[in-house]
Amino acid sequence: MAAERLIPHRAPMRLVDTLVSVKDGCAVAESVLPRSTMMADGEGRLDEVSFMELIAQSYAAFKGYMDRMDGKPPCEGFLVGVRNLEITGRAYAGDRLLTSVRTVAALGGFAVVEGAVTRGDETLASGTLKLWLVDPDADGG
Amino acid sequence: MNALRKGIDASATEALPGTGKEAGARRYRFAPGFIGFSGHFPGNPILPAIVQIRAVVSLAEEECGKALRLAAVRSAKFLSPIRPDEDVWIRYRRRIDSGIDICDATLSVAGKTVAAFRLELAEGEIPR
Repeated sequence: MAAERLIPHRAPMRLVDTLVSVKDGCAVAESVLPRSTMMADGEGRLDEVSFMELIAQSYAAFKGYMDRMDGKPPCEGFLVGVRNLEITGRAYAGDRLLTSVRTVAALGGFAVVEGAVTRGDETLASGTLKLWLVDPDADGG
Repeated sequence: MNALRKGIDASATEALPGTGKEAGARRYRFAPGFIGFSGHFPGNPILPAIVQIRAVVSLAEEECGKALRLAAVRSAKFLSPIRPDEDVWIRYRRRIDSGIDICDATLSVAGKTVAAFRLELAEGEIPR
């Protein structure tokens, strides 16, 4: 499913293209960033901070999909924390990047998510993010 | 240099003098037309977390005069959203701990801390 239907991010800040699978509390999203992306330098190298956004947006797409399955509109979410995000590889514009996410804890409006960005067999980055999910039914939400 | 970093650098408005290469402070104001607000989010612009971290790395890089890359985010807390046209102070301090280049940074708006990071920085390309 196209990520644009699932997340509030729009170009040029939308980095995830498609939610490709959802199974057993895990999801995988695909991204191919164009050479024109704001994240790429003149040689096509993607900024290392892109990985964090890929994980966050992939989880947002996953959550948006689950909300849709429940008959609700996708809720908004905000990144509130990062822990031990390791960057072990370099990505380039045009690479087919797969980002896998898994919810490891959910309490109240918060979710703790493990994510990893891969290119083929190579893991380029992995780490844990904490997100706050806005309940549209809550007061002030 | 990528377009995001160019936009961040262009948003710097004031630097504290004499902070040296191990510590630095700079004020930024991200205008509504800043590229990082584009699509994040329509009708509800919020400074992306990755812009905040990129700004710290770029500032440290500029202050030390060497190319740096982000090797890891040990911890990051984003406490309040940053909106267009807010004055954002970024302060960082670097130290070497067991051979690792640690960068502790805070972002503040109107005297209130809105984000805090512990980053690992490195020189050169990622070893294969």
